[in-house]
Amino acid sequence: MDPEEFDAPTFLTQRLKTDPDSVERDLFKLVLTIIELVRQLMEAQALRRVDEGDLSDDQIEALGLGLSRLEDAMEDLKSRYDLTTEDLNIDLGPLGTLLSGN
Amino acid sequence: MPANGLYLFAVGRGLDPAAISGVEGIDGAALEVVVWRDLQAVVCAVDLTEFGEASLARNLEDLTWLERVARTHNDVVFAVAATGTVAPMRLVTICEGEDSVRDRIEALHHDLSAALDRVEGRREWSVKVYAATAAAEPAPEPPDDKAEVGSGAAYLRRKRALADRRRAASDRSLHVADEIYGALAAAAVAARQLPPQDPRLTGRSEPMILNAAYLVAIDEGAAFRALVQRVNETHASATLEAEGPWPPYSFATLDAP
Amino acid sequence: MSGVQQSTGADVETAALGQAQMSLVDLLDRLLGTGVVLAGDVLISLAGVDLVQIRLHALITTVRADLRRPEQPGDRHGS
Repeated sequence: MDPEEFDAPTFLTQRLKTDPDSVERDLFKLVLTIIELVRQLMEAQALRRVDEGDLSDDQIEALGLGLSRLEDAMEDLKSRYDLTTEDLNIDLGPLGTLLSGN
Repeated sequence: MPANGLYLFAVGRGLDPAAISGVEGIDGAALEVVVWRDLQAVVCAVDLTEFGEASLARNLEDLTWLERVARTHNDVVFAVAATGTVAPMRLVTICEGEDSVRDRIEALHHDLSAALDRVEGRREWSVKVYAATAAAEPAPEPPDDKAEVGSGAAYLRRKRALADRRRAASDRSLHVADEIYGALAAAAVAARQLPPQDPRLTGRSEPMILNAAYLVAIDEGAAFRALVQRVNETHASATLEAEGPWPPYSFATLDAP
Repeated sequence: MSGVQQSTGADVETAALGQAQMSLVDLLDRLLGTGVVLAGDVLISLAGVDLVQIRLHALITTVRADLRRPEQPGDRHGS
């Protein structure tokens, strides 16, 4: 039998352990984390598209306005549930490469 | 009757088998030493229902299982390294039986000997460098008057400026990391960089800007540790942490051919 | 360690390696060759029972302008 060949890193799945008392807050944090990730991805991608130079001024203005409102909404949600960005732990492993650009 | 295989922990040279007799293998199995020419393979019997391909795929994603096997593997490697020169095997290197172990040593004899020569009388030191403080994020801007003309474009410009500042800070960190890496490498026999570690695995919030391994002569370990301390003191923007001495994992572990 | 330990530390280094106190991450980085990363996956477990796995990486990809053609009037959505 050959020794194991590891072509790719070993990917570990995180287990989110909840119990009846914590499940509501834990799921809420998870959902907020995903929303925050999507929001940051949208922003990073928007900046990239602006750099690529194929957007009209109107599109740029509309993108910025929408993203600005999204950021405000996110701050509002976080403060309502007393969560900081660190709490959301949005560093999501390989997905981070989507944030920093391929 | 469950099929057995042999779990190969490491190949050593100059090892006294009695010196590792107190160490347990996987699931409490006894360690055996399989000799071939001048090399000694340290093995134990394992159940293939746990270590066969089918269950391995599942087990390798289970952190509890990984931890148990990795720590056992590490205990064996440390025991071998304490009394002889050691070339560790990757986690889960399985052979069918003793003949298969000898065949493998024969096939790898040249590379194993070179690896053992490289690390004889030497230990590995890990040096991790963290940015001194997590980069301070500016507070989010207060909500704009959305009716203001051009505020969307202004928002994007602010975000662009923020991204640029972050990138500049990251570039500076990389520059510092390179400089530190080189300064320490000059005092070691060999040096390697490993990927920086995920903060969720390390529990550290500061970014890790360097994860390096150094091969250092056994009797120069204290001097190396002192050098790390000095480099730490002369770099305000970085925090260095040295760990060791360890078996030479990063310098003698062979990848499968 | 006795308080009489000499400052050169040479005798410390030639001594046995001592306890194998490496962090699990360091161990896995070295024993697994290509290291270990946390996948963008979360497995949700309630009262010790694994229930749902969210595969974020499969869920989210960024859109590259050069790979997509702009939306045309009359394009159908969905499939």
